[in-house]
Amino acid sequence: MNRRLVPARIAVAIAMLSAFISGCAARHEPPMTTLAPKSDLAQWIYSLFLEVTLWDAGIFAIVVAAFILAIFVFSTRVGEAAAPSSVASDLGLEVAWTLGPALVLLMISIPTVRTIFRSQPRIAPQGSLEIKVIAHQWWWEFQYAQSGITTANELHLPIGRQIRLNLESGDVIHSFWVPQLGGKRDVVPGQINELTLEANVPGTYLGQCAEFCGLSHANMRFRVMVETPDQFAMWEKAQQAAPLAADKAVSPSAADGAEVFANSPCTSCHRIDGVSKGYIGPDLSHFGARTTLAAGIMPNTPDNVAKWVTDPETLKPGVLMPKLGLSGKQLDDLVAYLESLK
Amino acid sequence: MAAQPKPLPTEPQNYLQGGGLIGWLTTIDHKRVAVLYAVASFVFMAVGGLEAMLIRMQLWSPDNHLISAALYNQLFTMHGTTMIFLVVMPLEVGFFANFVLPLQIGARDVAFPRINALSFWVFLVGAIFLHLGWLWGGLPDAGWFGYANLTERYFSPGLNLDFWVVGLLILGTSTVLSGLNFFVTIVTMRARGMTFMRMPMFTWAMLVTVVLILIAFPPLTVGLIFLTLDRFFGAHFYQSAYGATPILWQHLFWLFGHPEVYIMALPAFGMISEVVPVFSRKPLFGYPMMAYSLVLIAFLSYGVWGHHMFATGMGPVADSAFAITSMLIAIPTGIKIFSWIATVWGGSLRMTTAFYFALGMILEFTIGGLSGIMHASAPIDLQQTDSYFVVAHFHYVLFGGSMFAILSGIYYWWPKVTGRMLNEPLGKLQFWLTIIGFNGTFFPMHILGMWGMPRRIYTYGAGLGWTHLNQLETLSAFILGLAFLAMYINLIWSTRAGEAAPADPWDGRSLEWSIASPPPAYNFAKVPEVRGRDAFWVMKYGRAGSRGIAMFMAGQTPPVPESQQALPAESIHMPAPSIFPLVVALGIGLMGSGLVIGEWRIIAIGVLTVIASVIAMGFEYPSYGQESHDPQAAPSSGGIDIRKVGLWAFLGNECVFFASLISTYIVYKSRNLGGPGADILEIPLTSISTFALLMSSLAMVLALSAIQRNDKTWMRAWLGCTIALGLVFLGVEAYEFTHFYHEGLSMQTDLFGQSFYTLVGFHGFHVTIGIIWLSTIWFASFSKKFGKLRSLSVELAGLYWHFVDIVWVIIFTLVYLMQQVKGA
Repeated sequence: MNRRLVPARIAVAIAMLSAFISGCAARHEPPMTTLAPKSDLAQWIYSLFLEVTLWDAGIFAIVVAAFILAIFVFSTRVGEAAAPSSVASDLGLEVAWTLGPALVLLMISIPTVRTIFRSQPRIAPQGSLEIKVIAHQWWWEFQYAQSGITTANELHLPIGRQIRLNLESGDVIHSFWVPQLGGKRDVVPGQINELTLEANVPGTYLGQCAEFCGLSHANMRFRVMVETPDQFAMWEKAQQAAPLAADKAVSPSAADGAEVFANSPCTSCHRIDGVSKGYIGPDLSHFGARTTLAAGIMPNTPDNVAKWVTDPETLKPGVLMPKLGLSGKQLDDLVAYLESLK
Repeated sequence: MAAQPKPLPTEPQNYLQGGGLIGWLTTIDHKRVAVLYAVASFVFMAVGGLEAMLIRMQLWSPDNHLISAALYNQLFTMHGTTMIFLVVMPLEVGFFANFVLPLQIGARDVAFPRINALSFWVFLVGAIFLHLGWLWGGLPDAGWFGYANLTERYFSPGLNLDFWVVGLLILGTSTVLSGLNFFVTIVTMRARGMTFMRMPMFTWAMLVTVVLILIAFPPLTVGLIFLTLDRFFGAHFYQSAYGATPILWQHLFWLFGHPEVYIMALPAFGMISEVVPVFSRKPLFGYPMMAYSLVLIAFLSYGVWGHHMFATGMGPVADSAFAITSMLIAIPTGIKIFSWIATVWGGSLRMTTAFYFALGMILEFTIGGLSGIMHASAPIDLQQTDSYFVVAHFHYVLFGGSMFAILSGIYYWWPKVTGRMLNEPLGKLQFWLTIIGFNGTFFPMHILGMWGMPRRIYTYGAGLGWTHLNQLETLSAFILGLAFLAMYINLIWSTRAGEAAPADPWDGRSLEWSIASPPPAYNFAKVPEVRGRDAFWVMKYGRAGSRGIAMFMAGQTPPVPESQQALPAESIHMPAPSIFPLVVALGIGLMGSGLVIGEWRIIAIGVLTVIASVIAMGFEYPSYGQESHDPQAAPSSGGIDIRKVGLWAFLGNECVFFASLISTYIVYKSRNLGGPGADILEIPLTSISTFALLMSSLAMVLALSAIQRNDKTWMRAWLGCTIALGLVFLGVEAYEFTHFYHEGLSMQTDLFGQSFYTLVGFHGFHVTIGIIWLSTIWFASFSKKFGKLRSLSVELAGLYWHFVDIVWVIIFTLVYLMQQVKGA
């Protein structure tokens, strides 16, 4: 076998092996993958992505083939008898490798422009659900104008209906990204950006801030619950209901916890419907119904809530929430109360 | 008793020898300046590499606590800033271009050697500035492109970003000075016979790169100035509460930022275009298209900046336009890839380490370019931007492209720079470690991005499927670290025990190989006459190269060209070293320090130091032409004096600077909320000062005409008029500003106030510099030495003065007169 071809064959083997591994890897669906679209927007992007990947693969194959042939087949080595050619131009070749890529790019640009316009309707589609998203350092606020619901870090959406997200920032630039539901949109102070999509597969999808926004940028996560219209209606009703009054508390501990809350600095930052009016931190009226806390960084369990309330800074560097110095029974009661807010 | 004549040395000193430490501090030899840049860059390369290692170690596992969030954010910021501004750019422009460019065009130095040295010392001051956070407050931590409004003092209160803003302003100054220098050098100092289409491709690449530098840096400067005004003087350029928008920063930054990546890519393309033909023993394929594609890439690079902003909501029309232009730029780039492969095809290959890295670059850069095409499609980009996919993309083009080219260049030109060969087996080991480490670190990032991993996160959760790939990347990064360690060992070993390098170790094609390794301080004993493309190859083998093939087959070496023959050093006069570049840089450092700590007295000392040193530099001997002292006689390949070309290039740079300020003014005037607004302007008063400034230009013309007939008295009279009228202008402006301030318009009031004061204020600053310049000439004219040289000196000052005047006419029209137009 021609010794010179050995490195070429090794290179090809490595390429095939990596393709195989990547292929295997792609089959198992990571929770935040962009390759398993669950909305119309995500699907349009994914189709475009596949097209461009094919063109890219074709171009790469041509370049690699030419590269290998040039180095290992159609050249000599210094010291060998053959003299080098001095061909330094070829009009046909040069025209071909100018026009060829230009044509490929034309093929890519047409669906690109089509998708751009299709995915950015100037006005909200008829019958769409409009939701205001306010990004803060480092949590997400969601306001459903039509139903009067305000919640945080967990976005519920019905399938089969156009969703119009209106993105605003309370401080710096953030970016709203749920990979399975489509591309991201930056959230810029001083302007309202829109993201329009229609989710079509029920499920829980993970989202994360995608524009560096300070110390805890990594900890600014959220969840999107895509539900059937019935499930969504049920959720809406639960969110619209007022939290249980103290005398109807689910347990004595929760009742005591309500008092702890009402008498603590918590009220200056957090709103609980009928109890407090704070707006600096997330609305806690239905905190107990959420699956995560502190913007998606931990599951919402009593232990984690206690950890959070005891020392937010360690879990989320830079957070505005101070240590409250609560412990023992007071802490347990507060946790029980918060978890009871379904 | 007659003194013994000093014996002529048998060997001329090479540029590295002699002078001691003071010699290095005051050097203006382009080769020494290049070495200074290289040493600094290699240090910062290790720093940036360590920063990357720490990043990778923190990302080894989910919820890792090795590095805190605060430190991590500093690490990724400094890694990017260091690699771009303190490694790739200084190596490509400060080291390779500085060393090789004059040699390739047959020059003895660059056009302005002292400004060359100044560029280095200012660079060093800027680099140190960026790192002062180690000692005080913490390193910059808002990312290498620091988006407003996170960078406002309210959200980033510490000194971190103060060092960043000032450090970048200083570094930008250094780069623009280099850009000016190399532009004039290439345009005016090419040896006889070297037309543009006979220049080596690296020279071509540098010519296009420096034009990019001159036009791209002003928007960055303006953006940084606005951020400085916001952070230090209470302005609101990026605060939406006042009607401003942080998106302005993004536009200004990426107007710089996109050409910036081509500033890093084009020299790399140039280096590959040198290495591939030499080691294929074939001329570069498609030379004309290679040259034109450089120009086309540069031109298109100004039309694509919005592709960094697809997620910001610019609207579908803007998104589509930027998508299309971004795809267009792939065409000239593709031409290059194919041409390099066609150069190798049919060649007689010498498989050296330099060639390995060049070949590696071609493949790796192709991968980066292909992921770039994906990014160009805006909808796809919305999934990929701000994720690890784009991190993969830019590392493939910047590391796989620029860094691989730099590594190739190191192995290619090291013998010329140091007179030693590098160890080839160790080089090949470094190459393979680099290939494995680089691809292992960065290829999986494409997948992580597709799997939803955002960038710039100091940690990530478990159960997302990201852990194993992150671990693969971390392990590969260690291999990459080993590769660089091998290189450092090779570099150090070579300087101690490397084989002595001949003048032409690779049978090269360009003129740098026609002189000794290392070269003598004067480069060429006799400036070569260029007879074709691949000038040195033609000298050795004749035009058709057939004589060369026959000699090559017969194992003969070509005859030593005249330019390589040694001459005694005394017979060639070289300009003397100068301490002033270092002093000016220190003055700039004082200015920056004074600003950061808020001590105006230190700023003032810095300013005075800079002005005094610049004036002193002006009174040192004139800048350097080719072989003679007399700048009036300096032969120039363009026929225009090098200083005039320099000034025109500088004015081009200034045009873009003022254009950025004026555009901001126009945009912000219409977004103004509250405050007195433009109604406060008093056109009658400002018309008087405008008239004075226009008349001063007339006086300037009369002053020039006087000195051209050698009439120093009338020159001084008219120059005095110019200065006086300029002072009138400034006086009225000072009154105006004070008056407005008392009426309630300040930097902090509203968008109109800050934009007005900044635009008009910077213009006034330019007038002030002009007055100082003219005053210096006025005083210098009393000296006897003045008469011989200085009509050019007056002409240059006049050009600058007229430019400042024209800018004022534009400002007066747009700011003052347009007020009268309803709805303006």
